[in-house]
Amino acid sequence: MLETTSKEFDLGHLLKDLPQKIKKLEKFKKLVLTDAVLLGEIPSPTFNEEKRIRLAVDRFRENGLESPEIDESGNASAVIPGSEGRSSILVMAHADSVFDLNTPHVLNVGSDGITGPSIADNAIGMATAVALPKLLELLDVKLKDDIIILTNTKSLGKGNLDGARYFLETKQRPIRAGICVEGADQGRLSYSGLGTLRGEISLEIPGNYDWNRFGSSGAVSQLTRIINQLLEIPIPKEPKTKIILGGLHCGSTFNKTPKRGILRFEITSEGDDVITELKQKVEDLCEQCSLENGTKVELNVVATRPNCGIAFTHPLVKATRAVMSELGVTPKVNPSTGDLNVLIEAGYPGVTLGLTTAENIGEENETIHLESLCSGIAQLITLLQAIDQGICES
Amino acid sequence: MKFDNQKWLANNTFHHGEFWDILKLVKEKEKKGLKISLCIPTLNEEKTIGKEVLILKSELMERYPLIDEFAVIDSGSEDKTLEVAKNYGADVYLASEILTSVGDKKGKGENLWKAIHQLKGDIICYVDADISNIHPRFVYGLVAPLIQKEEVKYVKAFYDRPLNYSSGLRASGGGRVTEILIRPLFSLFYPELTNIIQPLSGEYAARREVLEAIPFPIGYGVETSHLLDLYEKFGLSAFAQTDLDRRVHRNQSTNALGKMSFGILQTFLNRLQSQNKIDRILSIETFYRRFEVENGSYNQLVQEVVEEERPPMIEVEEYLNKTDRNLN
Repeated sequence: MLETTSKEFDLGHLLKDLPQKIKKLEKFKKLVLTDAVLLGEIPSPTFNEEKRIRLAVDRFRENGLESPEIDESGNASAVIPGSEGRSSILVMAHADSVFDLNTPHVLNVGSDGITGPSIADNAIGMATAVALPKLLELLDVKLKDDIIILTNTKSLGKGNLDGARYFLETKQRPIRAGICVEGADQGRLSYSGLGTLRGEISLEIPGNYDWNRFGSSGAVSQLTRIINQLLEIPIPKEPKTKIILGGLHCGSTFNKTPKRGILRFEITSEGDDVITELKQKVEDLCEQCSLENGTKVELNVVATRPNCGIAFTHPLVKATRAVMSELGVTPKVNPSTGDLNVLIEAGYPGVTLGLTTAENIGEENETIHLESLCSGIAQLITLLQAIDQGICES
Repeated sequence: MKFDNQKWLANNTFHHGEFWDILKLVKEKEKKGLKISLCIPTLNEEKTIGKEVLILKSELMERYPLIDEFAVIDSGSEDKTLEVAKNYGADVYLASEILTSVGDKKGKGENLWKAIHQLKGDIICYVDADISNIHPRFVYGLVAPLIQKEEVKYVKAFYDRPLNYSSGLRASGGGRVTEILIRPLFSLFYPELTNIIQPLSGEYAARREVLEAIPFPIGYGVETSHLLDLYEKFGLSAFAQTDLDRRVHRNQSTNALGKMSFGILQTFLNRLQSQNKIDRILSIETFYRRFEVENGSYNQLVQEVVEEERPPMIEVEEYLNKTDRNLN
């Protein structure tokens, strides 16, 4: 077991209770699974989360929470009152998914797992957050702090974490710490936000384009050239930096030269200056391509986040590792590019946890495994208890 | 007096949204001392049964105790249907092991009929196992009119029916047998029954006293026979129907629908005769014939489809004994 500082007694006591919690949760997990399926079968692409959010609000009410709210950014939130309520712990789960409205959102429920679009990212995470009041009641867990449950919109892609950001900017209650709940993978431990820039390079060949000009070509060829030049940009080893080319949309058939296309990419780096430099290089590349080829090439930055984080030795991180260790789970430490960034940026300690194991994330056959779900939920509840008992201040 | 279609439609056609307050339904059910059983007949439905049991049991037994009993009655699945259903908490029965004294026949109607013997509810709700967009409305939308209106005895579902294709949802379709077989037949012989928008839908709920009083074809004709027999006994005022919005299910081939129509027609012709709608019918064949072409030559495929029927459950002595009644 990991060393657990001055709150050793409290945490040790909580850790000892984990097997009992998991056993009890096995009895109640259908509550979470049902909501995961009902939420997951509502398409919820970023900027179109209303229907999924509406169900979350209904569930808040049905689970006994008074006055759940939908704010101007479309986020749903509700409060589980603590016995003292001097401070609050924020539990966040994003409501949006990468699947569009036309994807058939049909989930298959088997004995060992559930398969279908967005079940792991993040229907099961959202369902767990929504079920928290019931789960705490069934486990007879009583906390001194209020728990704010937030199912936030506009987290992914062009959403740029706007839902969580809006909530934190307009919140009316003091927050002690936060936990971001993701469906997968169990063992995930993020305590820092990775500097990120997401951009789209759009290329458009104008109507008066000179097709007889030397080197003239369609959008596919020109975007290919841009990709080659992007790949030649030197990437430093330190600070750690990565460029991902995530999507290319161009052309529609076999025999027509496309006139426009879009390349989507992401730069992540532990150095904010590196991101700024790389962004400048991409802009230069776009301008060069525009002028040399007589086309319109533009960089549109759709999302940015600065580097941020709490220390590996922060008591919240240590407590999280201790809980994982007790569960026999090896932490997979990875910086987050998700909602945790805005939480930490806003000055609150926080971690991102995964609930269960999963596969094919982001594909239509996304699958969660049920065997480890209860230990994942027990991990979340134990951490809430640890924060409630003051682990963050130790 | 001329039957008023519009009035019947206005009074007896509902939308599930009218019954969204499940807690209110639970209170009304308890006040009236009703018990409700849910039955899902299955045969090799491992892909969809887990979700049906999970959602319906969790929402309608555990969160809101609207149903008192949840049973899967299986015709002998060879896949994991029973294991998955049991894992999610359904009571699982093999049709062949219920009422063994009358033997075992294979067909969905057999499972529905044996459910009357096995289950205890005053109301029995039947839901097919192949619904991929299952939702609690598939049950509360059907049992609610029975809870709230004593004159209603049988509630049928209807849908805007998309068919499930690998490439996504089609805007419309389905109901082919309804539109090209049942609706023309009803228009000819039972015009009032054309008010039932989807007479073949596999989801319906009924009071025990009406289910036990009618015979059950064990095959394709069970839904049709219910309508014809109950209409003859009680008239259209005993029926209601609820719009459940959308049902996503597997599409069936035209050949399969042809065979289904053949079975339904047998039931229908039998009812025409027994209800004196026609003087007599000549003896009818039980072999369904169709063609396939192989290497340029035509082969006739012949398949026997016999629509056997189970008698009204009220005529089965074992059932009467179980319910403390006598065969009079």
